[in-house]
Amino acid sequence: MSTSTPAMAATSAPDLPPSRPSASNRRDRRARDRRRFATRSLLNLFLLVGAFTMIVPFLWMIFTSLKSPAELALFPPTFWPQEWRWENYPEALAAAPFHIYFRNSFIIAFSHTAITLVFASMAGYALARIPFRGREWIFMGIVAMLMIPTYSKIVPQFLIVRFMPLFGGNDILGQGGTGWLNSWWALIIPGGLSASAIFLFRQFYLSLPKELEEAARLDGLGEYRIFAQIYTPLVKPALATVGLLTFQDSWNNFLWPLLVTTSDNLRVIQVGLAVFQQLEGTAWGYLMAGTTLATVPMVLLFLFCQKYFVQGFANAGIK
Amino acid sequence: MSSRTSRTRRGAAGLTAALALTLGACSAGGDAGGGGDAAPGEVSGDITLLTPIYEGTEGQRLLEDELLPQFYEQYPDVTVTVDYTTYGQLNEKLTTAVASGLIPDVMMMGVGWIEGFADRGILANLSEDAGYTQADLEEDYAPQIVEAGMWEESVYALPIMLDTRVGVARMDLLAEAGYDHTPTSWEELREMAIALTERDASGTLQRTGFDIMSTDLRQGFETMFFSSGGSLFNEDFTEPTFNSPEGVETLQFLVDLVNTDGVEDIGFTSTDAEVNPLLNGRAAMGIAHNSLWTQAEEAAPDVMEHLQPFTIPGEVPGMFFGGTMASVAAGSDHPEAAQALTEFLASPDAALAANEQRGNVPALTELLDSDYVQGNVMVQFAMENLDVAQREGGPPAWLEIRGDIKPAIEAALLQQQTPQEALDTLAAGAQAAIDR
Repeated sequence: MSTSTPAMAATSAPDLPPSRPSASNRRDRRARDRRRFATRSLLNLFLLVGAFTMIVPFLWMIFTSLKSPAELALFPPTFWPQEWRWENYPEALAAAPFHIYFRNSFIIAFSHTAITLVFASMAGYALARIPFRGREWIFMGIVAMLMIPTYSKIVPQFLIVRFMPLFGGNDILGQGGTGWLNSWWALIIPGGLSASAIFLFRQFYLSLPKELEEAARLDGLGEYRIFAQIYTPLVKPALATVGLLTFQDSWNNFLWPLLVTTSDNLRVIQVGLAVFQQLEGTAWGYLMAGTTLATVPMVLLFLFCQKYFVQGFANAGIK
Repeated sequence: MSSRTSRTRRGAAGLTAALALTLGACSAGGDAGGGGDAAPGEVSGDITLLTPIYEGTEGQRLLEDELLPQFYEQYPDVTVTVDYTTYGQLNEKLTTAVASGLIPDVMMMGVGWIEGFADRGILANLSEDAGYTQADLEEDYAPQIVEAGMWEESVYALPIMLDTRVGVARMDLLAEAGYDHTPTSWEELREMAIALTERDASGTLQRTGFDIMSTDLRQGFETMFFSSGGSLFNEDFTEPTFNSPEGVETLQFLVDLVNTDGVEDIGFTSTDAEVNPLLNGRAAMGIAHNSLWTQAEEAAPDVMEHLQPFTIPGEVPGMFFGGTMASVAAGSDHPEAAQALTEFLASPDAALAANEQRGNVPALTELLDSDYVQGNVMVQFAMENLDVAQREGGPPAWLEIRGDIKPAIEAALLQQQTPQEALDTLAAGAQAAIDR
């Protein structure tokens, strides 16, 4: 936000002799400063309330993770733990093989993010910058894919994975074995690319000036180098945004990994957290301890990519 | 660790375990032998087990380090691969398994689920394949529990554990209000609930006299409905009857408690509350799950002596039961091994261990005398009253119907519809599902 004013611009003009501001000018400036201070204070107060509102659930999660069952039963509930029960963390981690689950979630989220950043950016670039016959139809198809509910895709996707030819003992017709089920293929490939990522990348590439491309072509660059060396470095906010959203989606994925695997060695963090939510009741202390740990990678990732992430959201108009 | 139990662990099972297994296998199956007519040494194969219980480190340790080694003692040529899931995702897991043709050899599922899967030919008929009869099973289980595993006069599943919903009173709070007994009729329940409800000067509810929000509304409604003498469906499960006069009266009773008597406000508590309000004094009475006792052990041991379970006093004593049952896939490549595992998991020692791990109610009548049951007031009360317990389910379309019940009850409680309108709409949808 610019802070310069017409009056300040006038006094700093080089062709005017320096002069002391008159008393009325000083009064005006002080009044403006006071107004600006009041406006900023109000804005900061508003933002402070907003930030506090958003951070309270997060703090509540952390404090709940440090309370005993007896304290959790109190009404009215306490905000600060009366007794900081740090042992909730090791006990929660002992309730399921979380070291395996964390590893698996990380592998899957990292793979999905890498695949998305490479292929979705290529697809988005092609749809935005390369004219070819049927481009609009393909784009409309991708937009249409955004409207398909996840649940309606689960069974068809499961069958594709199950009958994948030449995998898991299947023959060329996909019969006789288990296909990709209970393997890393099933966990990584089906969720590797999303229509929303392609859509976002297209929108980012569309916003870049055509002159860059024309100059690059005059310099003799091929299509791939224009994509990789000219345009893609300019969409870092898009890379950060799509990368973070993809990582977050994969990290929080629960149903698909549960469906396509039978082995604990392939299960993910969210499956581990489900152990604390049984039909008979929820172990809130342990659940919040596990959830707190599960959010750490996302928080770290956001802190590192914060600058680009905010830019990306502002540019794409997403929330 | 979970997917395949190492055979090396089998050596850990001792003589005691083998003895327990033998006794268990003899008891649970009546005359039917494990694995059909084959001798244990002749039963073999790699089989899969899909289970929504035994999850987590504790559950897996119980199943893989204690129970399965006992099973392998008797069936050394059988190996079991376990697929752990949760009840929340069990339906999706089964649906995709059926769609893909990769159906687990042994499946555990809830009360009310058996009919639908049996009707579609997914479950093995244990009456035909293993010789189970209703009469044999009724020697070991209450009749309505046996019926929960049957479809069209045949046995398809064996009960392992039950979970119940009953009325529970905080006798210390009742005593403060001058009551020394739990309600003996709906009228008295209403009168006591009103007397026990407390609001502050601004009218904010401080304590509900009768909590119906901490339990799933469907199951809470059914608990009350059963006590009115009503049943969910007609005898051959071709028509819903929950919009009968008994059903409307039940729902009107709940609506009046909330909207006329102000006994409980919508949102006062919920199934996701950090603790049941009976444990922190925010409820004087309520409908609760039997796990309330284990929750109290952890969170509020001081109130345990004041918790008094009671059947809902209506035309008949009202108590709801659900549970977990074990069944065999009709298309199993190793049906005898699958039957043997099913029978083993339902045997007294294995079932008792599973129930103890989760704080649930054993289905086998003989386990009433076990130390676990005698040491858990809620479980003991449930087992002593299993003869009056009623279950949900009946038609094969139950899984489709049950999801609509809670919204109908909510619509009535929120006064968007009258109880009659809500239940009529619900019944129409249920009839359509049954007719499909």
